[in-house]
Amino acid sequence: MTQAGGAGPPFETVLVANRGEIALRVVRTCREMGIRTVVVYSTADRDSAAVRLADEAVQIGPPAPRQSYLYPPAIIEAAVSTGAQAVHPGYGFLSESPDFAEICARHGLTFIGPPPEVMARLGDKALARRLMADAGLPVLPGTRDPVSTVAELVPAARRIGLPLIVKASAGGGGRGMAVVRTWEELVPVFRAMRATARSVFGDPGVYLERFWERAKHVEVQVLADEHGAVLHLGERDCSVQRRHQKLVEETPAPRLAEGMARRLAEYAVAGAKSVGYTGAGTFEFLVDEEEAAFIEVNSRLQVEHPVTEMVTGIDLVREQIRVASGLPLPVGQEEVRPRGVALECRVNAEDPERRFAPCPGELAEFVPPGGPFVRVDTHGYPGWRISPDYDSLLAKVVVWAPEREQALARMERALAEFRIGGEGVRTTRDLLRGVMGHPVFRAGTHTTSLLDGTDEPAGGTAPAG
Amino acid sequence: MTETRVESADEQRAVELGSLEAEMTRLGAEGAMEILCRSLSGVVGLAPFPPARASARFGCASIEVEWASPEPAPAAPAAGAAAAVEEEEPEAEERHEVRAPLVGTFYRAQEPGAKPFVEVGDAVVAGQQVGIVEAMKLMNPVVAEVSGWVTDVVAGDGERVEFGQPLVFLRPGGQE
Repeated sequence: MTQAGGAGPPFETVLVANRGEIALRVVRTCREMGIRTVVVYSTADRDSAAVRLADEAVQIGPPAPRQSYLYPPAIIEAAVSTGAQAVHPGYGFLSESPDFAEICARHGLTFIGPPPEVMARLGDKALARRLMADAGLPVLPGTRDPVSTVAELVPAARRIGLPLIVKASAGGGGRGMAVVRTWEELVPVFRAMRATARSVFGDPGVYLERFWERAKHVEVQVLADEHGAVLHLGERDCSVQRRHQKLVEETPAPRLAEGMARRLAEYAVAGAKSVGYTGAGTFEFLVDEEEAAFIEVNSRLQVEHPVTEMVTGIDLVREQIRVASGLPLPVGQEEVRPRGVALECRVNAEDPERRFAPCPGELAEFVPPGGPFVRVDTHGYPGWRISPDYDSLLAKVVVWAPEREQALARMERALAEFRIGGEGVRTTRDLLRGVMGHPVFRAGTHTTSLLDGTDEPAGGTAPAG
Repeated sequence: MTETRVESADEQRAVELGSLEAEMTRLGAEGAMEILCRSLSGVVGLAPFPPARASARFGCASIEVEWASPEPAPAAPAAGAAAAVEEEEPEAEERHEVRAPLVGTFYRAQEPGAKPFVEVGDAVVAGQQVGIVEAMKLMNPVVAEVSGWVTDVVAGDGERVEFGQPLVFLRPGGQE
């Protein structure tokens, strides 16, 4: 699929195999590139913003993802019959499925992502950990191979020490992990995680890692082409999490030790080169003062990619598409010059007073914020019905400012402006406003434990401050 | 998040040629029922008129078809059914839509040039095949969920159809 640079878009038609805000976001870049778009949708998304904006839309199945967004035959059929040459998988759903990428290839479709074999190796989290350790990246004390028996478990756990984390090899993205703090918990948690991993991921493999209580979650965006160039686009701090799910992301990461950002970037580039990575990807690390440890690679575009776009001026979806068509990256590392500070807040349709239960309902009022340096990626509009069948992400509010104080003030202003209402609709907006005002967050010294305890229904909806 | 249910070309071939049992294990109840219904419609097609009762069971795969005694000579499907439509007005506007079970290409007949599975006016029984939706080179039978008479075939032969798109309209009834 190599094309001489210059004339025309890299593909004539791209099919977007996703929904929600990310489908809309991909369609928008395609339009800017002069690429015709086909969006596939389930019956629940008949009236989605992406369906409305796309040049063509194909209804591929019922609301249940297994029969629509996770069902390759329907997606491939839609792509082939509409004349698409490439498939953008977005994030989630089939975005990290090597099988799906291979099926695309077999049908003459370009999968916009890394090669399937690279995805397969990085998708096995225990293997990825080993590969990255071999490439010279620091990893947490843990098991090199998956642990399958209690006889192997106990000595391994003794060696690692408590607290430790039991992770499913096939998990990732915050799913399939449990923390062990006492020796009594060890065996039951191990057995439960193996059972969960088998039923949820179809693979009972689990491995152990030391758990760092008070660490920052920092990740590095990489971009690589098929000609051997690997760039890093700076780091993102994603430490504000609830139940291992990110709520707030920012770049650059605040209050890192001297030289840490550069070290992480070097690790990510070395790691990407070692496995022959192409396209956009993210290397995730835990950072505790002077120490850093690799956790996993996300072989896809990430939810929080806009903050990187805001400071670098690089459209990651555009580069993904260009790289997938065989084009070389348009810039070298020295031309990537991040400027200022960008923050993202995820406004989810969840009820903070009911343990963040997803909260479907119809949006009666929906007025996203605007104004200087505010970007809102959302598929919401007045009248849109939030479906109970999918994740609860409703809008990503992204702001940019020359420095962090101003960015925080801008985010607070934008969140306050955001008007969302409707029968039964609750969101995380006020929780996010609480985070913006939280003294520890404002100081930039927060770790992944910032929101511990805020899941409790009686504890108020937002952290103090 | 990596759930794929697509088999290699070899597996597809094995399925086409292979045992019913193996296919059932692979497809689960829903898919197995589809195959049973396909076979059922074959059996049903043996007689020149629709059966009084048809049943398919998943358990150890069973198909039962009962024809009423031929004396009352039920209207022969093709020509006769149209007349039957005229006579039996009761459920005037009731319409059942047979919809596409998946996205793909709709075909009215088993192969190009062959006689269509159904024509307007035909009587069909629940489980009878009324068309094909081809997706990824697999022929997926489209079956009527209810018995009745074909009042319209709204999708064209060779037309690309989406999931849930109406293909054939039926007026439910008959075969008490």
